[in-house]
Amino acid sequence: MTAQLETPAPPDAPPRTPHRVPLWANPRVGLVVLLIALVVLFSVLRPAFLNTRLTLTPLQSDISVYLVVGLAQLSVLSLGHMNMAVGRMAATSAFTMGLVHDKLGAGLVLSLIAGLAVGALLGALAGLIISRTGVNSFVVTLAMDFALAGLITILYSGVTGGVAFPAMPAGMSELRSDTFADYCIGDVCGPRVPLVVPFAILAALLVGLLFRLSRLGREILMTGANQRAAELSGIPTKDRIVQAHAVSGLLAALGGFLLAANNGAFSASLGDSFLLPSFLAPVLGGTLLAGGAVSVLGTVLGAALTQVIYKGLNLLQFQLDRLQLYIGLVLLAALSLDRARHVLAERRGNRA
Amino acid sequence: MKRIPLALVAVLGLVTTAGCTKKADNDEAAAAGKKPADVRIALIPGGAHPYFQPWKTTAATAKTDFTLGDVTFNETSGWDQTKQNDVVKSLAAQGYNAFGIFGVAPENINSTFEDLKRQGFPVASLASCPAGDVDKADFCLSTDVEQAAYKAAKAAIDAIGGSGTLAHLTGNKVDSNTQRRIAGVEKAVAETGGKVTIVQVVTDIDTDLQTAQKAVADLLAAKGSQISAIVNTAYNPAVAAAEGVAQAKLPIKVIAIDDDKTILDGIKDGSVAGTVLQNPVGQALVGSYALMRLSGGCTMAQPGVEVDSGSFVVTKANVANYETDRQAKTGELRKDFDSKYLVCQ
Repeated sequence: MTAQLETPAPPDAPPRTPHRVPLWANPRVGLVVLLIALVVLFSVLRPAFLNTRLTLTPLQSDISVYLVVGLAQLSVLSLGHMNMAVGRMAATSAFTMGLVHDKLGAGLVLSLIAGLAVGALLGALAGLIISRTGVNSFVVTLAMDFALAGLITILYSGVTGGVAFPAMPAGMSELRSDTFADYCIGDVCGPRVPLVVPFAILAALLVGLLFRLSRLGREILMTGANQRAAELSGIPTKDRIVQAHAVSGLLAALGGFLLAANNGAFSASLGDSFLLPSFLAPVLGGTLLAGGAVSVLGTVLGAALTQVIYKGLNLLQFQLDRLQLYIGLVLLAALSLDRARHVLAERRGNRA
Repeated sequence: MKRIPLALVAVLGLVTTAGCTKKADNDEAAAAGKKPADVRIALIPGGAHPYFQPWKTTAATAKTDFTLGDVTFNETSGWDQTKQNDVVKSLAAQGYNAFGIFGVAPENINSTFEDLKRQGFPVASLASCPAGDVDKADFCLSTDVEQAAYKAAKAAIDAIGGSGTLAHLTGNKVDSNTQRRIAGVEKAVAETGGKVTIVQVVTDIDTDLQTAQKAVADLLAAKGSQISAIVNTAYNPAVAAAEGVAQAKLPIKVIAIDDDKTILDGIKDGSVAGTVLQNPVGQALVGSYALMRLSGGCTMAQPGVEVDSGSFVVTKANVANYETDRQAKTGELRKDFDSKYLVCQ
């Protein structure tokens, strides 16, 4: 699902043949090919890669978390902005979820809603500061990240006397350990898909629909492509900035919830490792850092690709130095191949 | 394209709704009664850190001494619980069937232990116990960090003659082990009845040596003249404090942790008052031994028991022969596992 703004042709212009990108030049197709190639390669080198219980099931849980985190970043990349506080927003929201459960005895759903609301509010606050002051989103969210890092420590030590809540709402443990294969109607059981996966699918679907079909999404993209032009077209760009950041905060909160479910606690260090993967998934998938174009399907593939690389290299049991080297090399190769394909497609397009 | 995921979500949603039943947890426990040659142990620290380097050599020793199938050392977790979980599962998929783990996040690690136990793998929590009162691993073999910090603070208080001021340099504040260390130092200080006070607790400086060096330089510049002793309960701050105080030529007593060469040299030349040693070799060796016995069919007399792997105060008086004490403690631990902690048919 790719959403991109196109300049409409003037009404009296002769109909123009749309510039068709050949299938092989579509970055999503490239990612799918690369993903399949890597899965085949890792499966041949290490048959354990196809172990359902120990490899494929946890892999789906990891992809779900990093997909949602990637979508959180994608929401502001659509504006050409960044959310450097994506991890701390997740941690603050997770704190709220833990607090609501621990102090008010709220169940899973209520805790989740409270956490998502706090995430959206934090995002909206970042958007508000950016849109009203005109300060770069990088600076605002970086400052917010520092502030939240301190706040989280103070909040946890004040409320829990430690760094995590002692208990999780009922159902979190099942979200972590169960798959649909554990639930049966008569003799028919579900697939071995972890329970956290539908959360990520739903998030991807809603974000895709937002940018593809809704007016709000199109206006956010237009603001990202050219804020001045968007303003002159009557789009309330400042509001759109606030809304895009609120969506980012909300998704960061959901990412935090899924990670807490996977790891087993609402803790202060949750989300520490979100920042780089949050950029990696959308950028690998073709979302522009400059704004104006996003690709949700690409983000799904980008998140899957990075987790497959990590899982495969883990199975090959490289030591730390080599692991980091190869992760870097594989990602560089993936990005370079994508760029080469893009350039080649452009040249052929020009010749035609 | 949009309909397919919608339909999928709807189907998945339906499966979770009422009317479906949850299947009994039937993940087969890994068969007990394994011969040592069938036991493949993975020793997994939270990430790369000098403290764990003895585990690497001990892994090879354990493999030979106990004629195990394999003992691997994997430090690629990068101090990230999610990555560590991934490393653990990858090693399990590769056929490793017993795990000695230093959990990145003590507050989360019980979930990882629970997953492994559910699949029937023996699990040891090594060098750090889970936060809270429950330990889902078979056992925890670790330095009692609160006790070690208490010993370090007592040594510092002794070194300054029972009155003065302390600074405490330690690791990541959002780590429950750091909280325990802070509590240990506070306990020793409280016992002085006000004669000793803590002027500053500096946290989050164990990431690397450079960060620790900068923090020590700042501390000495700001409060160097007010501090009587520095208690270190993390590795990098200890090395940085030993170097920093020696360079600044301040009359501050430094109590370090572990046995980096800088620290041992400092003890020998008098610039470091003492250090508190832990027992990483004992943790890896005795941990591997107990995991082998558990794989062979033994059970824990008290599942989740916490065993102190020992901490040793080393000063100029005993710097030459501390290794003997440590080896004796390791031997004693192994005997304790045979006689007290393990139940074997």
